[in-house]
Amino acid sequence: MTQAHARTGTTPVTPPFSPVLLLGMALKPLRPAALQPLFDAMLKVVRRRHPDILERMADYADKAVCIDPVDLPFVILLEPNPEDPRLTVRRSIEPGEVAATIHGPLEMLIALAEGKVDGDALFFSRRLVIEGDTEVVVALRNAIDGAGIDLIEDMAQELGPLARPFRGLAGAVIGLVGRMREDFETLRAAIIAPAVKDSANQGARIAQLEGELKQLRKAARRGGVA
Amino acid sequence: MASVASPNRPELVCPAGTPAALRSAVDAGADCVYVGFRDETNARNFPGLNFNRKELAEGIAYAHERGAKVLVAINTFPRAGQPEIWHQAVADAAKLKADAAILADIGLIEHAHRAHPELRLHLSVQAAASNPDAIRFYAERFGVRRVVLPRVLTVQEIAAVNARIAPVETEVFVFGGLCVMAEGRCALSSYATGQSPNMNGVCSPAGEVRYTETSQGITSELGGFTINKFAHDEPAGYPTLCKGRFIAKDKASYLFEEPTSLNTLSMLPDLVKAGVTAFKIEGRQRGRAYVAAVVQAFRAGVDAVMAGKPLPDIDLDRITEGGKQTTGAYEKAWR
Repeated sequence: MTQAHARTGTTPVTPPFSPVLLLGMALKPLRPAALQPLFDAMLKVVRRRHPDILERMADYADKAVCIDPVDLPFVILLEPNPEDPRLTVRRSIEPGEVAATIHGPLEMLIALAEGKVDGDALFFSRRLVIEGDTEVVVALRNAIDGAGIDLIEDMAQELGPLARPFRGLAGAVIGLVGRMREDFETLRAAIIAPAVKDSANQGARIAQLEGELKQLRKAARRGGVA
Repeated sequence: MASVASPNRPELVCPAGTPAALRSAVDAGADCVYVGFRDETNARNFPGLNFNRKELAEGIAYAHERGAKVLVAINTFPRAGQPEIWHQAVADAAKLKADAAILADIGLIEHAHRAHPELRLHLSVQAAASNPDAIRFYAERFGVRRVVLPRVLTVQEIAAVNARIAPVETEVFVFGGLCVMAEGRCALSSYATGQSPNMNGVCSPAGEVRYTETSQGITSELGGFTINKFAHDEPAGYPTLCKGRFIAKDKASYLFEEPTSLNTLSMLPDLVKAGVTAFKIEGRQRGRAYVAAVVQAFRAGVDAVMAGKPLPDIDLDRITEGGKQTTGAYEKAWR
């Protein structure tokens, strides 16, 4: 976990062991301002191609939201004012600066933005954590889900003749990340294997002790002992 | 106006809170999609959700081009003396050529029947009509063609109702969130927040909900009242009072209902035999990923039943509330 998040107390989501976590560590020395042009471009594209997002957020124009990708050393400040929306990369945000905070791993947040996963299901399973003004978070979720965002395709459509190579590059990167994720999973399983074995042994031992305790209680009851 | 489905082949009626969800539902195989306007005329009046008139017109065009229907839920109860936005909603549904309006309030149903005789009327679950006498009254007096049955009847009871109300159609919920109270009459949310699904279109309004992370887990509050606490590894549910966990006799438990989702995929053959006309999936407040997953599963299920094939084994656990499923009142397994 990085130190870069708007937090109100304990760590809300443990980042998964993933290529993004590694990328986050590599990006740690980078100043957030260096990433700002990328987010400016993304906002410009989304604003042009999905104006309905800000329209659905019109009642929450003055409610800033902190989006916290828990596996990156940055947070993103979203200010949804339809006249002057902003998406700012920051190292950290004070809780009082925003109406609400959304915590989750980067890949999950992207999948959520693209409508590939259900926000309620992520919340039920505790993989997505929200804090603060629930109403603005629900509005943002609904506005984004309803827009039908496809980040790669949206960017490609803006690139004119470069769209085709961009799609190819994006596909290659996604494929690479997918393969890396599989390798990371293998690595993770290898690292925690001894701990899993210990835990299984301890579980079996606890079950055995519980059984013995039950027998003793039965025997005690039969013997009239409380 | 689109024709009524064959009584032998149930329609799959699917939720959409946004235009993207409507397209997802149609693409995934929905026969009908039900939607609501972006105001308090529908019982899913959630922030950032629902359709404006232009979006509904586009949604209807998208669905009709692909052979699907669009039903408009105008299923809250108009405020006394201020029925204008409800009347306008019905007029706009008719004007935009929605395939039916789903209504709950008896006064609004009378208005729709009189002012828009061409508009097909369905009775919302919010009207809580659960016996043949009530259903026949709505049909004979107002021309209601279909009734969405409250989630309180067993399959046998549904079959008995169907046998006595023909040609009125019945629609039953097959998947999604459950209400424990008599539908259309639940006021729990009003006590904590001053707003209810019946009058304001929202149960547990998001503006009244707070989640707080602590070292023990997450605490959910509604209107300033703590209604549940979940440990770090415990699946969570919606922040509704009916699914709150309360302490009685020194023990914290779900006094009304556990966070769980209805799933009747395994019961589809029985519901078909019971003469149900339409299967309804709950969840206009859910994302399009939920809509696509559930519609695909039930499309496969209905098609399998109609083809006389075994039901598909589809795991929907990952999108259920609290990670749990039930067949609810259809089996009344707790008896």
